[in-house]
Amino acid sequence: MSTEKSDATETLEALHTNEWEAEMRALLEDGDADADLGMAMAKDAQRLVAGELTEAEFAKRYHDAVLEEFDVDDQELPAALASIEDGDGLDDAALADRLAALEDGDMDRREVMKKMGAAGMFLGLGTWATTENADGPSPPASTAGEDEDGTQYGMVIDLEKCDGCLACVVACSQENDTSMGANWMYVFTYEDDHQDGENFLVRTCQHCTDAPCEKVCPTTARHTRTEDGLVLTDYDVCIGCRYCQVACPYGVNYFQWGEPDTPQAELDPDHVYDGRDRRVDSRPPKGVMGKCTMCPSRQDGKMGEDKVGSTACADACTMDAIHFGDMNDEGSDPNEYLERVRSENPNDREHFPNRPADTVNTFRLLEELGTDPNVVFVGNEPGPNATQVDGPVAYEDIGEVDRRKEVLDDGTFAGGVSP
Amino acid sequence: MSTKTPSSADILRPLQNTSKRFYLVFAVAALAFGLFLAGWVYQLQHGLIVTGLADWGSGGGVTWGLYIGAFIWWVGIAHGGIILSAAVRLLKMDRYMPVARLAELLTIAGLSAAGFYIIVHMGRPDRMVTSILGNYHVTVHNSPLVWDVTVITLYFVMTATYLLLTLRYDVTRLREGLPNRFEPLYKLLTLGYTEKEDEVVERMVWWLALAIIIMAPLLLHGGVIPWLFALIPTMPGWFGAIQGPQFLTIALTSAISGVIILSFGFRKAYDWDHIITDDIFRGLTLWLGFFAMLFLWLQLQQLVSGGFAAPIDQSVTFDSKVTHPAYVIPMGMVGLTLAYIFAQTVRPSLFTKARAIIAAVAVLIATLVEKVYFVVAGLMYPTFGLYEATPGAYFPSLIEISSVVGTIGMVTLFFLLVAKVIPVVELHAIEHLNETREGEHDGERGGGDSEPLTETATEPEVTA
Repeated sequence: MSTEKSDATETLEALHTNEWEAEMRALLEDGDADADLGMAMAKDAQRLVAGELTEAEFAKRYHDAVLEEFDVDDQELPAALASIEDGDGLDDAALADRLAALEDGDMDRREVMKKMGAAGMFLGLGTWATTENADGPSPPASTAGEDEDGTQYGMVIDLEKCDGCLACVVACSQENDTSMGANWMYVFTYEDDHQDGENFLVRTCQHCTDAPCEKVCPTTARHTRTEDGLVLTDYDVCIGCRYCQVACPYGVNYFQWGEPDTPQAELDPDHVYDGRDRRVDSRPPKGVMGKCTMCPSRQDGKMGEDKVGSTACADACTMDAIHFGDMNDEGSDPNEYLERVRSENPNDREHFPNRPADTVNTFRLLEELGTDPNVVFVGNEPGPNATQVDGPVAYEDIGEVDRRKEVLDDGTFAGGVSP
Repeated sequence: MSTKTPSSADILRPLQNTSKRFYLVFAVAALAFGLFLAGWVYQLQHGLIVTGLADWGSGGGVTWGLYIGAFIWWVGIAHGGIILSAAVRLLKMDRYMPVARLAELLTIAGLSAAGFYIIVHMGRPDRMVTSILGNYHVTVHNSPLVWDVTVITLYFVMTATYLLLTLRYDVTRLREGLPNRFEPLYKLLTLGYTEKEDEVVERMVWWLALAIIIMAPLLLHGGVIPWLFALIPTMPGWFGAIQGPQFLTIALTSAISGVIILSFGFRKAYDWDHIITDDIFRGLTLWLGFFAMLFLWLQLQQLVSGGFAAPIDQSVTFDSKVTHPAYVIPMGMVGLTLAYIFAQTVRPSLFTKARAIIAAVAVLIATLVEKVYFVVAGLMYPTFGLYEATPGAYFPSLIEISSVVGTIGMVTLFFLLVAKVIPVVELHAIEHLNETREGEHDGERGGGDSEPLTETATEPEVTA
């Protein structure tokens, strides 16, 4: 396994924002040149600088295309490219000089520079600068989720299918040995002004791409895994300041206030350390923060190959409501499920051709806060006046505790209140 | 005014005599601090479960409570202390010179108490160094908590520098009267001292004071401390632009209250009624009234904007405020204090030192309770209020309550000890007081004892 290669991937991911791409594309499309070619070249320029592509490969790839598009009959560009192809010890600065020198030629070549080379160079040099500066433990992975190429784990949860049985809640607490009341998986039953009957909201961690909890963390304990976008807590780094819990809009964090119900010795080491050998899975030790992890040790194959791509809650759901997988992959379980639900509920486009293709309602929770959550719900969103009510199955019926403070108050030293 | 003439012997008295009462106060303070330390050890053993805190959301509690409220309170006291001292230098408010060093020391002590609270509040304080410093270059770009630690450290260093620079003058001149057992310390403090540096130090201290005055609203209690809360958009009780100014007024009211109480204690203990004069108390009380007014005014702004056709989450916060005793009672206390100070301005005979002390204590209690309420209410009424368990419940445990008493004990101990090592009143203040006296004899300041020149600088703002 080459670390260089994964570094390069990280660098690309860090740069590859949709915004920038769109901006570049707009720039290119202003001209009359082939925008796709420009974008491809720009992307490859990034790869070039990230070390995934050699200069010779880069030159070979675009040599002919450039000639065709711009009809350059002059020898200067090909010559420059050829000398690059020779790989005669050109460093980046020299490469820049060489390309800049082309600008002294006629209008055609200036156009080439402007429309393609420059865009590529900017992106390329930008990447280079980013790589140079990224000497921290890991580059911020906040853009990884926006990258179509990268993995971004998440869920599609079909609230119309949920029956409030709380099997997922039990499965999660058993899988992770969480302490009483630390409901990493939590299911609301609620009533709302404009919704009849029983409504459910299945609340995991939203594994936000722009996670507020991660931003405020004073230690980097709360972090996003670069490889799959999971938002995790490094139990060996967390200082227990609980700022993540304060900043999270969803209330998904559960602090380990006292000794965990399950001692360390009873935990399966394969289920504690993830594939990077960081202690991020199972219940947290005393004094640090825990929350829904979406089962990283399963995803890393540490629980057996058959559990890769699954989570405890999804496995336990007999209603087929929870679908876990790569949100960026068209063929993943959540996306396929969503596609299937959409196709099963087509809209009447025969009579109303301007209607959306289907009648399926989806939402992301509190999306307006800009957290870019990675859980998509099928069904209705609870309104601002929705109120939680007793569900068909009570937490107490299945051996769990809903309101954790009732448990925690037992440990309070003289004082505290039971609501 | 007393007929006694202020002398250097006066300010050396704490260093030379130790009364029975000193030991008594020391014992009480040490007991208070010790009790809390014992409580903290218990907390370290069992975890933060010993507090009244819990998870917000389905958990039905709040995750930050009295520890954070008291942290803000101490930083506020610390912060205003040095502002007062800096104002003496920058604005030439010479009248307050005798309490300037006490205010500086209050900053050091208050920041220490606040820093202690940060550690007490954590689940794993043992990782402070490795986890925070080790990742500082990454986290400083994002985390308001890291900005906080950065600025507080900077502030601490600046205040300490300020104090150490001004001490050199005094220690050199008063060396004869200082206890010999601290000889190495005094040598270190006055290392390389020459009289030529006095003027330079004067300048340096002036610039440091300016930097501190600029930093105060921009960075400290008008900045990073309120930003811890004001930048969280999903806690409507916290979010918004007003918290900076609001926190600044809290800092200034509580700091002036702290200085009033401290000054009173030292004056009584060492017969300093000719140094820390009634006039100083009268002036400090007026300032307290001015900042109390600003405090209430900004609270009112929040009530108005949260009460009129506000969004749902804001309305819930508003409803809690106007009905919760932990908000209403502190507001009433500050309001009554303000009313008294107004009355005292109109009819000066209403002023007594005892009333000034009551006003100061009332404001300190009110700001502490209001700050704890602020922290707790923010977490009780989140924007995402679907949880049946919100608003959560919270009442501090005995250990948390003892932390307040304990840190007050800690700060008291600090003053008791420092007073035995360095003069807590500047020699400059004595020199200045004597100059003023001579001036009075020459008839230059005809206004008499209650009307020194600086009075005019204070009054218009207070009565405005």
